[in-house]
Amino acid sequence: MVRFENVAKRYGHGPEVLRDLTFRLTPGSFHFLTGPSGAGKTTLLRLMYLAQRPTRGEIEMFGQDIGTTRRDDLPPLRRRIGVVFQDFRLLDHLSALENVALPLRIAGARREQIESHVSELLAWVGLAGQINARPSTLSDGEKQRVAIARAVIGRPNLLLADEPTGNIDLAQGLRILHLFEELNKIGTTVVIATHDRSLIATFGRPELRLANGELTLHQPPPPTQAADDVTLDSDAEHPA
Amino acid sequence: MIPRRTELPLGGEATRRVIPLIVGAMVYLAALALAGTFALERTVQDWSEGLRGALTVQLPGVAQAPEGAEAKARVDTAIALLRETDGVLSAVALPYAEAQALLEPWLGADDLPANLPIPIIIDVSVDTAARIDFEQMSQRLENAVPGSRISDNGIFLRRLVNLARAVQLVGAVVVLIVGIAAVSIVVFATRAGLTSHRDTIELLHLIGARDSYIARRFVMHALGYGLLGGVLGLVLATATLAALALAARGIDATFLPRLSLGLNAWITLLCIPLVSALIAMVTARTTVLRALRRLP
Repeated sequence: MVRFENVAKRYGHGPEVLRDLTFRLTPGSFHFLTGPSGAGKTTLLRLMYLAQRPTRGEIEMFGQDIGTTRRDDLPPLRRRIGVVFQDFRLLDHLSALENVALPLRIAGARREQIESHVSELLAWVGLAGQINARPSTLSDGEKQRVAIARAVIGRPNLLLADEPTGNIDLAQGLRILHLFEELNKIGTTVVIATHDRSLIATFGRPELRLANGELTLHQPPPPTQAADDVTLDSDAEHPA
Repeated sequence: MIPRRTELPLGGEATRRVIPLIVGAMVYLAALALAGTFALERTVQDWSEGLRGALTVQLPGVAQAPEGAEAKARVDTAIALLRETDGVLSAVALPYAEAQALLEPWLGADDLPANLPIPIIIDVSVDTAARIDFEQMSQRLENAVPGSRISDNGIFLRRLVNLARAVQLVGAVVVLIVGIAAVSIVVFATRAGLTSHRDTIELLHLIGARDSYIARRFVMHALGYGLLGGVLGLVLATATLAALALAARGIDATFLPRLSLGLNAWITLLCIPLVSALIAMVTARTTVLRALRRLP
């Protein structure tokens, strides 16, 4: 699904934000990505959703080496990745329905297909009554759910979420995490970047911890089936 | 129902009002320059048709007896010489009364001195395909009738045509400059759109939109203001041409360019809005695709 081999990222002439990251994510896995602010969580996610290229190293997504993939062949790969951005990134001039429909429109889906799928999904995230609402009229929790619906409408193989509970209360955060679990159950690989220790404790999923540009794997206290989902080649403390 | 709202609301205040006006002004200038060029082309053709193959021979007039035997002898000698020259189709002397009439605007009908040696004029038409040695013809005429002179209308025609072609070149340069200015305006408007919608464009890119998908939004927008500006400019240019044609009516000046345009010219002018829209679309697409290449 995802393979990083000695990947490093540097911005301009600055120091390396990420250093020699080597790991693999198997299909259907669920991980939290943690680390202090500035540790490089967002950079790692951006590399995974193909918003950036690494300074060095090799990234393989869905079996394709990104370094050798032609630029014109990247959009189909991006459509297999759903992203929930920290700041939602909803388009204010579009309704909730239109925002969620965006990936399908881009993929060239038929109008009828879009309408039925989007309405169904908005009902699933509890926004059936808000489909025509503009983002500016929605609460942060509702915006987050619209963003999640947009991320999963294309049935992505990989779902990446950057601090999805950062702007909402605990109850809503739990609800969103349950949505992610539902998606994971139907085969979507999930990576959630978060600071929220209580959520990590509640859900008991393996944790990819970033510190000083390096990645380590931490299993949750009670061993779960998900522990086998990741191979972290450079992790001496927690070998796979 | 999902409304067909675009992801990129490009019709901001600046592009909705200002850009069509600027494109309209460009099209207006280009249409007038083109119309002038076309009108001149017709005039040049008219001049060519009217003057090509014609020349004038002037013989010295005979004072006191302008229609006497001496004058007649000069005319007969010159005409005989002209007619035996290869390529000369006809040679006809202008009657004395008509030559006199030509001077009337300057000297008056009654005050013409009797002893004024009015030149004898012979209108000669020549085969334009024939290669006539005018130097030799002039020399032979001079020998036969001393003081005779050939006025080659071709020299005058060539000067006129050269002048007209220079004016047409200026018209073409104006159209070119206007085209470059229009392209610059579209590039500016497109870049402004790219900058103000940078976040949206990045989002579309990240959720899998191809460059062509994003560029299409800009292209459709450019089509809108290109067509609108084009039609606006053409309507104004047509009104201006109509007003000029109206003002020129009744002016009897043979050598002034006619302001009427042929069918081909009108078809070309009517195509200007389409051309302006096409230029706007191609420019917008190129600008957007070039900018998007910077994204990973």
